Amino acid sequence: MTSFDAMNCNFNFGGTKALLMLSCTLCLLAVSAGAQTSSGQLSITMNVQSSITLVFQNNPSVGTTGFCPLTNAGTNNVGLDLGTAAFPGSFHTSTCVNYTHLTGAVYEVSSAFDVVVSKANSSSPNYRLAAQISTPPPANVTWLLNNVTLTTAGFTTLDAADTYATPITKTLQVQVKNTVAAQTLLETITFLATAN
Amino acid sequence: MLKNYISIMRGAALAALLLCGASLTAQTTASGVINGTLINKNGISIVFNTDPAGVTLGASGTAAASVNFGTISAFGPLSAGVSRPSMLATTFTVRTIFDVQVIQGGLTSTTYNLSANLAAVAPTGFSYRVDAVNLTTVAQTVQTNAPYTSNVPHNLDLTVLRAAPGAGGPAVGTPITATINFTATAN
Repeated sequence: MTSFDAMNCNFNFGGTKALLMLSCTLCLLAVSAGAQTSSGQLSITMNVQSSITLVFQNNPSVGTTGFCPLTNAGTNNVGLDLGTAAFPGSFHTSTCVNYTHLTGAVYEVSSAFDVVVSKANSSSPNYRLAAQISTPPPANVTWLLNNVTLTTAGFTTLDAADTYATPITKTLQVQVKNTVAAQTLLETITFLATAN
Repeated sequence: MLKNYISIMRGAALAALLLCGASLTAQTTASGVINGTLINKNGISIVFNTDPAGVTLGASGTAAASVNFGTISAFGPLSAGVSRPSMLATTFTVRTIFDVQVIQGGLTSTTYNLSANLAAVAPTGFSYRVDAVNLTTVAQTVQTNAPYTSNVPHNLDLTVLRAAPGAGGPAVGTPITATINFTATAN
């Protein structure tokens, strides 16, 4: 056997030549058939925290007297338009507000809505609800929630143990004495839910 | 006779000198060859890269990167690069995006398949998903026929039970870790 023979695989081992060639071919096929792979690892870290959320929703009775629709309902930042009202003649433009003369000199406009507080990853059984107004109202004007007077001095507790994920109906009331000058009465009322 | 002898000797001497000169000239050059050999192997490699819309990866650009979601909650703020695409009654999901880049050499392959699996069973209250594939400890195909050399973005979703700790929900206030193994296979 010459080197030329070797380079050209001209091995001659009698009857085993064909078998040897077949083995070589199978080995080469096996090598080429092995899929190329590459592996990597992604390590993930996180820290779960308990949380609660508060949203305002329209009451199922929305549209009827005493249940005006909220703007942006379903969020934690909504609007509630009580329209225009006056003491004389029980005047009020909104058809959804509840208008009442409380005394011979004070009228009240009110509308109800729902508060829903939800929790996650918390063993808190319930929550307490409080609220406060953003600016002192003019003299002889009072803002209330379910007959609880709101102030700017701090949060006033409305409920001590409300149930999560359950609509809690609150009625916003504005009481105005007939001596109050014509003006737009505007308040931002902040609600605070605290897990118990 | 002597004359002839001298003439022959002169000729012989001259020939010897010429041969000597030729011999000296041959010794000033040399030649050789180098038989160079390079075995060019084929192969592919995978790296994880930070996606512009996702969390900045630890060890970005390597095959052993890390993702820190930071503090996650159903309703609270999330870290940069983390979003909350889903909020359901019983679960919430947080998401980040990372890139996978696979390069190849020496192959005729033009695409690869990507598979992934959790290195261990998911911690209580968690499930992991890459794109649309819910991960288990068994490798599953995440993508087929992905192109080489490109940063291919993938969503990494963590779905968290909203239940309280001890009631099926995850541990709260402690770091939780998991590892996902990825394998790229040349087509």
